[in-house]
Amino acid sequence: MLNLSSFVQRAQQLLDPTQGLNLTDSDRNPSKASLFQSQFRLPASQHPLYEITAELTVPPANATQGDKDRGRGYQYAGKLHLSEAYMCFSTTPSSFLQSASTSTSSTFTGQTHGGGPGGNGFTFPLCSIRRVERLHSQNFQFALAITTWNGIGQDAPKDKKDLREQRITIQLAGPRASCERFCDGLKKGLRAGVGNVAKLKKVVAECYSEYLLRPEDKKNASPPDAGLGMLFRYPGDPKKLRDRAKMRLWAEYLRDNGRNVTLIRQPTFHKLIRVGLPNRLRGEIWELTSGSIYLRLEHPTLYAETLAKFEGQESLAIDEIEKDLNRSLPEYPGFQSEDGIGRLRRVLTAYSWVNADVGYCQAMNIVVAALLIYMSESQAFFLLSAMCDRLVPGYYSTTMYGTLLDQKVFESLVERTMPILWEHLVKSDVQLSVVSLPWFLSLYINSMPLVFAFRVLDVFFVEGPKVLFQVGLAILRINGEGLLDATDDGAFISVLKSYFARLDESAHPKSENPKLRAVTRFQELMVVAFKEFSGITHSSIVELRLKNKDAVLNNIESFAKRTAIRNLGPDSKLLSTQELGALYDRFYTVLYERQQRDHILQQEQAKKAKSSRPKIPDAANSHDDPGIEKGRVGLGPSTSLMDYDAFREFLAGMAKWAVSDSPTTPRRDAFAEKDRSFYGSFRKADTFLSPWGSGPEPADHEFLQRLFKKWDVGSASALTLQNVVTGLARIKGKRDIMGTITYFFELHDDDGDGCVDREGILRMSEALLFLSRRGLEGTLSPSNSTLGLNGLGDGINGSQNDIAGQTINERFLGSVSAFIRRCFEYADPDHLKNQIAEGREGDRREEPGSDELANPDAFAIGDDEDDEDDLLTMDSPTGSPKAPSRTDASPSQRPPSIRFNSQSTLSNNNDTSDRRRVSRAQSEKANVALDPSNPLHITLPTFRMVVLADELLEQFFESSFPASFHINDSLGTTSAPTPTTPLTTFSNLGLGAGRVVGAALGGAPGAPAAGRGLRGVLDNIVTDGMRMAAEVRRRMEEAQRELEKNAVPGQRNDEDEDEDEEDVGFERGSAAGKTLTYGGDAERRSVRSSDRDLLAGADAEASDTNANASVSGTGRASASSESGAGGNGGSPATPGGGGAGRIVGIEFDG
Amino acid sequence: MADSANAPKPSSSVKLVLLGEAAVGKSSLVLRFVNNDFQENKEPTIGAAFLTQKCNLPTRTIKFEIWDTAGQERFASLAPMYYRNAQAALVVYDLTKPTSLVKAKHWVAELQRQASPGIVIALVGNKLDLTSDGSGSGGDADSAGDDSGDARKVTTEEAKAYAEEEGLLFFETSAKTGYNVTEVFTAIANAIPETSLKSARGAGASHAASRTEEQRVNLNGPRDPNAKEGCAC
Repeated sequence: MLNLSSFVQRAQQLLDPTQGLNLTDSDRNPSKASLFQSQFRLPASQHPLYEITAELTVPPANATQGDKDRGRGYQYAGKLHLSEAYMCFSTTPSSFLQSASTSTSSTFTGQTHGGGPGGNGFTFPLCSIRRVERLHSQNFQFALAITTWNGIGQDAPKDKKDLREQRITIQLAGPRASCERFCDGLKKGLRAGVGNVAKLKKVVAECYSEYLLRPEDKKNASPPDAGLGMLFRYPGDPKKLRDRAKMRLWAEYLRDNGRNVTLIRQPTFHKLIRVGLPNRLRGEIWELTSGSIYLRLEHPTLYAETLAKFEGQESLAIDEIEKDLNRSLPEYPGFQSEDGIGRLRRVLTAYSWVNADVGYCQAMNIVVAALLIYMSESQAFFLLSAMCDRLVPGYYSTTMYGTLLDQKVFESLVERTMPILWEHLVKSDVQLSVVSLPWFLSLYINSMPLVFAFRVLDVFFVEGPKVLFQVGLAILRINGEGLLDATDDGAFISVLKSYFARLDESAHPKSENPKLRAVTRFQELMVVAFKEFSGITHSSIVELRLKNKDAVLNNIESFAKRTAIRNLGPDSKLLSTQELGALYDRFYTVLYERQQRDHILQQEQAKKAKSSRPKIPDAANSHDDPGIEKGRVGLGPSTSLMDYDAFREFLAGMAKWAVSDSPTTPRRDAFAEKDRSFYGSFRKADTFLSPWGSGPEPADHEFLQRLFKKWDVGSASALTLQNVVTGLARIKGKRDIMGTITYFFELHDDDGDGCVDREGILRMSEALLFLSRRGLEGTLSPSNSTLGLNGLGDGINGSQNDIAGQTINERFLGSVSAFIRRCFEYADPDHLKNQIAEGREGDRREEPGSDELANPDAFAIGDDEDDEDDLLTMDSPTGSPKAPSRTDASPSQRPPSIRFNSQSTLSNNNDTSDRRRVSRAQSEKANVALDPSNPLHITLPTFRMVVLADELLEQFFESSFPASFHINDSLGTTSAPTPTTPLTTFSNLGLGAGRVVGAALGGAPGAPAAGRGLRGVLDNIVTDGMRMAAEVRRRMEEAQRELEKNAVPGQRNDEDEDEDEEDVGFERGSAAGKTLTYGGDAERRSVRSSDRDLLAGADAEASDTNANASVSGTGRASASSESGAGGNGGSPATPGGGGAGRIVGIEFDG
Repeated sequence: MADSANAPKPSSSVKLVLLGEAAVGKSSLVLRFVNNDFQENKEPTIGAAFLTQKCNLPTRTIKFEIWDTAGQERFASLAPMYYRNAQAALVVYDLTKPTSLVKAKHWVAELQRQASPGIVIALVGNKLDLTSDGSGSGGDADSAGDDSGDARKVTTEEAKAYAEEEGLLFFETSAKTGYNVTEVFTAIANAIPETSLKSARGAGASHAASRTEEQRVNLNGPRDPNAKEGCAC
């Protein structure tokens, strides 16, 4: 289980933002696989499986070869490697051991002369091997004779003599066992490779060498596409370039040593590259040395498929590409033609689709245009991939961090190798990168005359990015004197400009020696670059990159942040710069960390999957992929979109209420389907790595969903930083209560018609409860006078009991229940019909009748408070409080439940039915309002009035809701385990809420009129207290009787574990479901019987107070407001109640 | 540019940076100003291009060191490298492309906050030749009111109002026809406070500043006479 512990360590390292954030393991300690891949330029699918010391013997050929070894051919000692689909040989020691870093492998990357990264040897795809024979050798060693499919692209010659089979021998040196293991692996690989021979044939057919080596009589077929140069001539004077001579040398080399994939690298190969490639072979050799041919071999049709797949689609990248098509090497005739421009367009477009993270970057057009002069579209496409992934990583990314990083590296190399010049640059305040950046970004294509730039590219593809640095340093060294005279950017640039313009001139025009005179400035440049700066190795580049990476990324990130914040638009001005900065950080931190976690979990899974598969032991090493770094802004935003889960996590870092109440139980059922599949994939890993990282698990509540939807302006199911800032700015920015109220209202106005219907009202109140359950923040006045004012309306807080014992948070619950009630009272009916009905006296007379039925249940769900109620309310003239609470889920609940079941699956809705019950009892008018057959709605002004009618609510919108988003300061709860955070819910309040109810019920009659002012008057409009009281009393008794008759325990036990409000929603859902089944018809009597059942369940629950705290809690919410109303009604001594009675009475009497 | 050899006027160099969205014509403006030339398909600038051009004022000669930057969004992070120490900036937009004005505003904001204080910024709407009021032939049709039947998408009024609000010089130009191009650079040269010039003489600095103010007002206001002069040459 070593793996596990190292994984955990790594996970910690990655999740801890303070350490190891930028320099990943793969940077510091590249895996064996990645070193192997980069040595042989193989695709990421290849891993070193077997490796063995061996000696390669290449049969003797023509005299053009290098050192001949006694006519036996050429022998190279080195290592033979086997991967899944390749067999590679290299003379340079490979050091991709577990512990190897790129610097220890400098031997093979460091030499400028000779090897190149691959050294001498070969890189054979296994499918290119035709036959392997074991030779008998004297000294009992393994000797293999390998015959390749060299020239497979040609038709079989009639004359067997024409066929020159490529045959090499390899002597394996090592213990017999390891030789045999290697051979077994090779056998397996060869067998697997057989299927790819057809693919290989197709791929090599595009190589010009196949045509070149074809016997003269068969050359009538059209040659493969060797770039636009075939149509528009290649740049430069072929005579001057000695193209013919070069071509002859190459033809000879290829004939002797194999072509394209079966080519064997011998010293001559590297020498031939150094003197410049012949035009028609240039593309193919580039493809071969960069390894992009292996990408093409892996997926030969990818280019065409990509184009076909995305045909006709548009993107930002395509727009940008279009802008530049006409201005890419415009001086080359091929790019003044539709053909050339079409090719360029297709290659750039296809690449922008396969690598959408990079898309299109200016300079790519120039590079690709250059490639297209020498190679086919498909070849250029894969070469571009190989470049972006391996040769110039990060150069063209959206932040161009690779470019900037290499500029820093270049600067430090200049400082190190040319200290005097460097000092001069610093003194004259000349920024080197101003000149050198375009060199690197466009690989000198834009800076030097094309013919010379291509010579640089020839070496670049075989030897790697260090070539760019060597050439750059050489340019500065050669121009050292001129540059020391230059004192500003302008002079500096002009020195170099004129140098580039004269690269073809003699470097020593005045020399006596004609040979020396013949040396051009460019040749001099190459010599200086590769001789004088041969010390610049791949490893030194890698080291310097590592050293500077952090600073560069930080720079980019601070720029990106600055820019992003500045460009956030007018809404962002509502927030302070500090807040915006903090928001920016929070936004990207969440995205980054999520990706990191994701990656680790995936990796762990992959590891598990691998270990379960008993495969080749050597292969078990981690394949680091660069994806580990994704998410860091400086590397180019791999994502800048926040999905719903990320949004929850984001909010949980800022707002108390967004933290889940039950963090240990991942209840995914409530999630949308996509979330589930997303998490399903790594659910197993949850045990030791929470999907939420070190932060608290975020809650999932309808309010969050609404907020997300509201902020998601483009309906993209994802938020941009802009969305988040705009969303928050509207809540937090204005500090304007009206604005916040409006915002909250709009949040619940689904269709945007300015009306929130019955369900919406209930959802609003739910949201209020959700937001307040961890307590309210901001400025809340706890004074008694406020209390009095506040309490008046609902009759809960009105009594002195409350003042003594209640916290603000508890009072808020009361405010919310009052809110519901008032909303229904002031709601407008939806239809004219209802208005008429209301207007008619007869109708109204009947309504109270139905109300009678409704009332008992209105008091309902507070069942488990019974005991407290008893104590507190015995003296209440309103009647036994026990009865009302027992009556619970009553007949009147039914109609709404039915409705919810049939119309909506939203869990939360069910909760609402309780509340609805509450309001039922309030007044006759409200009763009408509650009837589902009388749809109603509230408008913004109504909502505003209702909110402002309650001081606590008012304060909530004025300060505590906006203040609940902690942008700058960190949340206390973030570190503390969530369960310890006290929740203010009805359930948690327990006794407190009971007291509230009790007080409300009982306290009201005796309550002094003191402290009731305007609010009381307002409330008078609402309730007919006297009448209500009588009815309530009567119905309580009824309900009590019912209850006693029907006490059936255990009905709802299965739902007992649920603890928070969300669950209440679910419970209600099932409860409502039951209701539906019990009373299919809407008749009142059947309603009653079904309710009885519910009641029974509730009763059973009540006996188990702890378990179903939440259920009863919500119940209590309704009960409290209910009883509040009852209290009001029952106490004529209360001016509020009395007043209300009066006014409603007036209305009722017509 | 006129020969300044006979009168040894004080000469000083001014670092000027061009910013703006891709393909709005930054490089073309510079090319027109420096070489009085226009290329239909100008290669995109990689990183930045550097050019110089002298500008003769009655009292002094200004040598512009022009940094022409790449326009593509992702090159934006390189921009600080170029506008560092710049005394003047040309923020260019394409008046047939409203998004380019948005981008221009971003650049103005960036410069105002990050560049050297006192940097002279000119907002330039390029490609006037594509509009019906463009000065393709003579440049005397500078009535920006009528937008019918042309490619103009940004009205003169809108851009001008913004420029005034931010205290920028404002021009509409055509690099293709050359209309108003020299004027932009001349106006910038005039607006550079003498105090910020490298080789500025110590005396009369405050005097120069007030003069610059006058100039600025002039240039911002009635543009037409200037324009005609510009096109005559």
